[in-house]
Amino acid sequence: MASRGALILFCSLALVARAAEPFGTDLNGHPIEQIAPDGAKAVVLFFAASDCPIANRYIPEIERLDHEFAPDGVRFWWVYPNPADTAAIIRRHDEEFHIHAAAVLDTEQRLTRMAHATVTPEVAVFVASSDGLREVYMGRIDDRYLALGQERPAATQHDLEMALRAVLAHRSVPKPGGPAVGCSIVPRPTPHNEP
Amino acid sequence: MRLLRSISIACVCCVFLICLHTRRAIHAEEAPVTQPVTWSRQIVPIVYQNCTTCHHPGGAGPFSLLTYEDARRRGPQMVQATQSRYMPPWLPAPGYGDFAGARRLTDEQVALIRRWVESGMPEGDASAAPQRPHYDATWQLGKPDLVLTIERPYTLEASGTDVFRNFVLPYPLAATHFIRAMEILPSVPAVVHHANVLIDRTASYRRQHPTDWKDGISGMELEVDAGNTFDPDSHFLFWKPDTPVLEEPDGMPWRLDPGNDLILNMHLKPSGKPETITAQIGLYFTPQPAVKHPMLLQLEDDRDLDIPAGDRNFVVQDELKLPVDVEAFGIYPHAHYLGKELEGWAILPDGERKWLIRIPNWDIDRQSVYRYRDPVFLPRGTVLHMHYVYDNSKDNVHNPNAPPIRVRAGNRSVDEMAHLWLQVLPVNTPKGGPDPRLPLEQAWMEHRLAQNPEDTIALYNLASTQAGLGHAAEAAATYRKLLAVHPDDARTLNSLGAALESAGDWQGAADAYAQAIAQEPSACDARFNLAELELKRNEFAQAQDRFRAMLGPCPGDAEAHSGLGVALLGTGDSASAQAEFERGLELDPANFTALYHLGEIAIEAGQPERAIDLLQKAAAQRPGDVDTRERLAMAFAQSGRVEGSLAQLREAVRLAPDDANLHSLLSQVLAGTGRLQQAIEEQGRALRLQPKDADGWNNLGVLQARTGNTAEARTDFQRALQLAPDHAQARANLARLSHP
Repeated sequence: MASRGALILFCSLALVARAAEPFGTDLNGHPIEQIAPDGAKAVVLFFAASDCPIANRYIPEIERLDHEFAPDGVRFWWVYPNPADTAAIIRRHDEEFHIHAAAVLDTEQRLTRMAHATVTPEVAVFVASSDGLREVYMGRIDDRYLALGQERPAATQHDLEMALRAVLAHRSVPKPGGPAVGCSIVPRPTPHNEP
Repeated sequence: MRLLRSISIACVCCVFLICLHTRRAIHAEEAPVTQPVTWSRQIVPIVYQNCTTCHHPGGAGPFSLLTYEDARRRGPQMVQATQSRYMPPWLPAPGYGDFAGARRLTDEQVALIRRWVESGMPEGDASAAPQRPHYDATWQLGKPDLVLTIERPYTLEASGTDVFRNFVLPYPLAATHFIRAMEILPSVPAVVHHANVLIDRTASYRRQHPTDWKDGISGMELEVDAGNTFDPDSHFLFWKPDTPVLEEPDGMPWRLDPGNDLILNMHLKPSGKPETITAQIGLYFTPQPAVKHPMLLQLEDDRDLDIPAGDRNFVVQDELKLPVDVEAFGIYPHAHYLGKELEGWAILPDGERKWLIRIPNWDIDRQSVYRYRDPVFLPRGTVLHMHYVYDNSKDNVHNPNAPPIRVRAGNRSVDEMAHLWLQVLPVNTPKGGPDPRLPLEQAWMEHRLAQNPEDTIALYNLASTQAGLGHAAEAAATYRKLLAVHPDDARTLNSLGAALESAGDWQGAADAYAQAIAQEPSACDARFNLAELELKRNEFAQAQDRFRAMLGPCPGDAEAHSGLGVALLGTGDSASAQAEFERGLELDPANFTALYHLGEIAIEAGQPERAIDLLQKAAAQRPGDVDTRERLAMAFAQSGRVEGSLAQLREAVRLAPDDANLHSLLSQVLAGTGRLQQAIEEQGRALRLQPKDADGWNNLGVLQARTGNTAEARTDFQRALQLAPDHAQARANLARLSHP
């Protein structure tokens, strides 16, 4: 955990270069070249997995936040990094859970590496800058799950929501209050040449 | 006599979580790594033994671990979950009770899983792996004898806090059945944490919720009315995903009667999408009735649950002394979210402490009933102890209140509870005594009253128990205490009447019944008891009026018809009486009074075969009723089946060994079959019980004379004449002996 914390700190200071290659594909296989539409104040990547129970339990919460922050220029993407989550599986999963949000198949796990995500569910918040996207928040959605088997009846601290409010208010973005809890992201065997 | 009896508080406690998870380091001695840990060799046996009952496709676990690919996907999680002891779900600490189905992994197994994941999760030689278990989504014990389904599908919302819901499933059959096993198909196993099934003997919960019971009713705990016989809750019908089938020990099935409801209390966890629940309960019958009758005992101290905000070590305890020897079969500790450390132990009469359970990190999400591998013997005089520690600080992650607030006992998830249930079977009890569970119930209720003298349920149950133990005056005094609080309660007034009647206070009893009827005109039990009381006092005409009046508010009451029949017999109207008995039997084919009297009428009408049929059914209802055996013996004798007659009389004598008349009767039938020696022995037994029976001595003399024992016969006739100098037959017999 300590080493990841250091990474996040590093990233939040660094600027992420605009990827020359697409970020991933949509459910129809079309490449996604752009995740921050013009005028977007923030981009949220929600790392999800169709077969992760904790990620699934967060679906209503992510939809709530999407609905609440969309008018303020916050763009949510549902990112599926696991190799087993094919377009057909995600389509079925979206239908089952009544999800209408835009999905990205992170086919090369470029977004996963860009955000430094390791588990689902986990969220990354980026803000657009002249040099590209800058990661300002990475980690848990809230404090309902503290570890596997340690679950609050309801969340008491809504970390992602606090981060988004800080972004919109141009305040410094607080770090997550604890680790993200869920299912490990399955590494893709393909080699990569990302920075 | 019909008594409305115990109200039992059935706790369907369900509840949530609390787990103070202390992460602990693994202390397992790690063997030097000589060979790689592979899925096929070391991991599969652990996983198939401990994980896949839930973690299989369609199972209760959120994902499968059945194949190598499945497990590889979850490797890091498996390490986390097993190291923290989150999985497999098993709360009791080892060494504090020997439980069946213990799921705790050994430290070595946990270390193996970690080594496997750290070494890259190699599969190894797949052909060396044990065979993959097969899981069926349908009933594991085959097709159940009866399947009950919740009335209407329930939709669990996509998100929010956990849901506790009670579904009522009426028992639809017209006959009693004993249940040897129960299985639940929850329909969406992944969202069902656990379920508890309660038997509502009187359908009281359904009556409490007349409009909404079909949709299920929200709530963690509930109370049901236990009805009009001493019939305490006896079995833990607790279901959790890793033990889908609940099989009862031999001789200890549970019972369902017509009119009972099952209440399925489910703890449901939202999954992220709306889920439709159509749960089913499968019941497996046994033709063998229960021969062992356990009961559930409860230790609790909800009254002392008043936990200040921020208190991280709030202790609640209780203790209960056992008045009889018992064997404990299972234990069910229960608290809500603030429970931290739950302990139960027994101090035996010799001072030895026997642990019953210890849960160092309580988690309501993983609560369970724990069944002992072998029954735990606890002798009379043992003191049971409950000791629970609660954490109401903000550091308790399960604390439902942020910031913490003062918490007291209650049924909501934000309230607390402190309960410890134990399933016990009284053992080494004297034969022929009252139900050995009564002293347990009495001790429990007296204890509850010591804690809270205003506990009206305990008062009612104590009074009923005293009545059941034959302590009628004590029972009446206790009912009066209850009436001081609730003077208008018809049920208590009726029960008071019954206690007074048993104590011989007929007038007091009649007054109490009349008051009950005045309070509640439809109080059928009080109406019946009052009419029955008049019947016992041979006030037949009055009793007839009462029974007829009862049929207005209580139509279709078989006992009212049969009672009316008895009253009509009293005034000699046997034709009308027969019609009432037949009506009673039509309404309830098991109505004892109707069966018995129709049997008697058949004997009088010279229809022994019909009499035998009716009386055998009556005997099946009340196997211990001596009069029925006697009538049955008469019917057999009338049909010329002497051996049948003898069998019934022998049974009657076994049931009532101190009844001299029965021994005499048996003696006469034996003599009729030529078994003179046996007849003499029986008559001798009769006379030992009733030595002043001149007829008896005369009869014995005849038997002795017939066997040629003239001297004995002479003494017997002389004895008869000493007792009754005018006994003509004895005198004639004696004369015949002197001048043959």
